[in-house]
Amino acid sequence: MKLLAPALLATTLLTGCLGPMPIPRSGLNRQLEQAGGNRDPSLGLRWMALIQQRGGREQVQLLDLQRQLPIPVPGLNRPDALPISVSTDANGERLALVRQLGGRSEVVLYRRALQSLQLIPMASDSIPTQVSLRADGRQLAVQVSRNGLWQIDLVELP
Amino acid sequence: MTGAHLLLPVALLTLAGCADTGFLSGGWLSRRQASTGSLMGSEQRRDPALSGNGRLLASISERQGRSSVILQEQPSGRLLPLRHLRGHSPHRSPALSWNGRYLAVLMQQGMQTVAVVEDRLRGQLLRLPAPAGASVERLSLAPDGQTVALQLVQGGQQRVQVFDLSGLLEPDRAGGQRISDPPP
Repeated sequence: MKLLAPALLATTLLTGCLGPMPIPRSGLNRQLEQAGGNRDPSLGLRWMALIQQRGGREQVQLLDLQRQLPIPVPGLNRPDALPISVSTDANGERLALVRQLGGRSEVVLYRRALQSLQLIPMASDSIPTQVSLRADGRQLAVQVSRNGLWQIDLVELP
Repeated sequence: MTGAHLLLPVALLTLAGCADTGFLSGGWLSRRQASTGSLMGSEQRRDPALSGNGRLLASISERQGRSSVILQEQPSGRLLPLRHLRGHSPHRSPALSWNGRYLAVLMQQGMQTVAVVEDRLRGQLLRLPAPAGASVERLSLAPDGQTVALQLVQGGQQRVQVFDLSGLLEPDRAGGQRISDPPP
């Protein structure tokens, strides 16, 4: 008890100095760390899409943050495609992806309920490199390289 | 075949030839370049992030070798002021909450890249320290502002860590308060 009091006081003082801090989601973070290399996180309300290195190649994964479980996304990952950027809507229902396939970059939209993947047509002079899906899933912001400049295209989705 | 029947395919072909439309199974979609507003035409823009309600677009503007976050109203492109972020460039990887109350971004602070969240309603800046020994590469903010994911590089490996912000930020939910300009 004699030792506990100063420790408690020090902790209180330290917390008071630093103010409230973000709290790591330790269980989830441990799981992510064990899974290997991860990049390009995109958060929905209880979902997170990210690009994960697995078996020597990268693939898109969707995680349920509450249950800390991967959610199946059949038809989204192709062994011959390289994912570049991914973004999810708030409900983890729609995922937008920039991927390289056959030497070309393309934007695709995945709808989880339908397990469908659709190509989003971009202007012929544009190379997509990054994508951001609006939280309601109704608009895409795409970073493109056009005439040697980085620009942003907005695409309305049905 | 009536005149109207003949006109429809011609109209569709004309549309398909335009740079601002495309066909997605289920309907036509419209595509446009994000308004540059008062920005110079030759400026580069990258790292787009939309607010959930679609009213705001955050991006990184590159001008004369400087990368700064900008916030624009859509579709007008009007630039909105950011109180705390000026002078701490380069910025990267912006993210917006549902109504645009929170703008999270990576910014330079001395030799370090730090993640910060500007609360545009209260005019406050929240700093999110990176775990010791890690550098932050990208971030993602949940639409309600209650969770942040950081892409870190530590020991040469890229990894993602998730943090709970619910004790620090009020939720910014769909249908919540619309914020254009911050309070004076």
